[in-house]
Amino acid sequence: MRHLLVLPFLLLATPVAAQSTTAAELLAKYTAEAGTEASAERGQALFLASHSGGKSDTPSCTTCHGTDPRAMGQARTGKPIAPLAPAVNPERFTDLKFVEKWFGRNCTSVLGRACTAAEKADLVAWLSSL
Amino acid sequence: MTDAPTTDTPPHAGQVLVWDIWVRLFHWSLVACVSIACVTGFLLDASWITLHIASGTLAVALVLARIIWGFLGPTHARFADFRPAPSRILSHVRAQAPARHLGHNPAGGLMMLGLMAAVLLLGLSGLAGLGGALRTGPLRALPYGLGEIALEVHETLALLLLAMILAHIAAAILESHRSRENLVRAMVTGSKQGRPGDHASRPAEAHPRLALLLIAMLAGATVASLPQDDPTPARAPVSELDPTFAEECTACHLAYHPSLLSAAEWHVILGGLTDHYGEDASLDAETTARITNWVLAHDASTVQSRPARLFAGRLDTPTGSMTETGAWKDLHEEVAEAHFLRAPIYSKANCAACHADAETGWFSPFHIRIPRETPK
Repeated sequence: MRHLLVLPFLLLATPVAAQSTTAAELLAKYTAEAGTEASAERGQALFLASHSGGKSDTPSCTTCHGTDPRAMGQARTGKPIAPLAPAVNPERFTDLKFVEKWFGRNCTSVLGRACTAAEKADLVAWLSSL
Repeated sequence: MTDAPTTDTPPHAGQVLVWDIWVRLFHWSLVACVSIACVTGFLLDASWITLHIASGTLAVALVLARIIWGFLGPTHARFADFRPAPSRILSHVRAQAPARHLGHNPAGGLMMLGLMAAVLLLGLSGLAGLGGALRTGPLRALPYGLGEIALEVHETLALLLLAMILAHIAAAILESHRSRENLVRAMVTGSKQGRPGDHASRPAEAHPRLALLLIAMLAGATVASLPQDDPTPARAPVSELDPTFAEECTACHLAYHPSLLSAAEWHVILGGLTDHYGEDASLDAETTARITNWVLAHDASTVQSRPARLFAGRLDTPTGSMTETGAWKDLHEEVAEAHFLRAPIYSKANCAACHADAETGWFSPFHIRIPRETPK
């Protein structure tokens, strides 16, 4: 019972912006859309790989996010990017519109096409497992 | 300071005090000020502008004080002692063994007047450039075009002054040889050896109290006539950023101010967000329209700022970068190429790493601070 005492602090730490989703909900949603089980290993491989279908300046997710999703990344403009792993950045995977916007933009930049629901499920599975 | 004549009082046997202490202090202070202004203006980057303006202003003040001393100082400080009439200059330069002038010879006198005029005009053109082009200082109401011309004139005058200084130094060395005396040392100690046959000067009495009073009055009048408040100049870049613009456009980069580009360039950029400088930055139609409307309402045509005049409508291709333009490269040539790419700048697109006021659209030289490289 005693660890329930942390609950008020957790609530305080919640971002002011309306929380529209969670990592678990996203994972369930993308998995359902894909119709297959998500794989953290496949997510990691996709994230770390170099791709050739997208724009030449951004061959990989790691171009801007770095190889460690628990660390800060950096845009090509020099601007820092907050870590992707929800374990160190609780704001990640809390806003469905935001997640969809950046999957949309970044999959086009890196892969040259939209990501499939299965790929999104794999990435969310890996990032939230860290 | 006393009203007693300071000339012709031999400190040592045969020595004559030619340059009084104020002339010497003026000379070497001017050397210091002009040196600092030259180094900060020609060699160092724009972040040194405050020191440049301070040294330049002090040089102008020194010359103005010297002009007053030229009418009220002792014999050899007076303009009357070195009137550079053409006939006198010619006869001095042509003569095999010209009569020695204890003070300035006529050619030297011409150089004195030229140097002083150059410093005054440099001050005026600098102030006009600061006012018209950078929209600050007492002349900030000047039209932009005039300010830009003033900056060109300022640069040309500075080169001219540099040439005159070199000629002045060469002449001092040459004349030292010719008259077998060390003229540079004389400008330090003030005294020269009196010789028979020296050009006779009409002795004049110094009026240091009157001179000081006039200098103080001039300084007071200058300070009093400076504008007291510094209101935002007319046609300033919009100071409050639209929240949607600020939120969406700063996700990956700083808020590039709408006044930096022309309407045509913004149309191309916002119409091509799917391929935005090498990345997909697409937004939904409603957000794009909102940002486009706001940006166009505050584009370069609505402001009078130096970046707007330098860059808007000047991109090499509609999707080109400001950092690829000749104007940008000229302004950044003092910064090593590699410095942009390493920590903590990382990218030429990261204006705010050095320009603290980048997001205001002003890019004032007063707000430049180039960070040192840090280990990543």
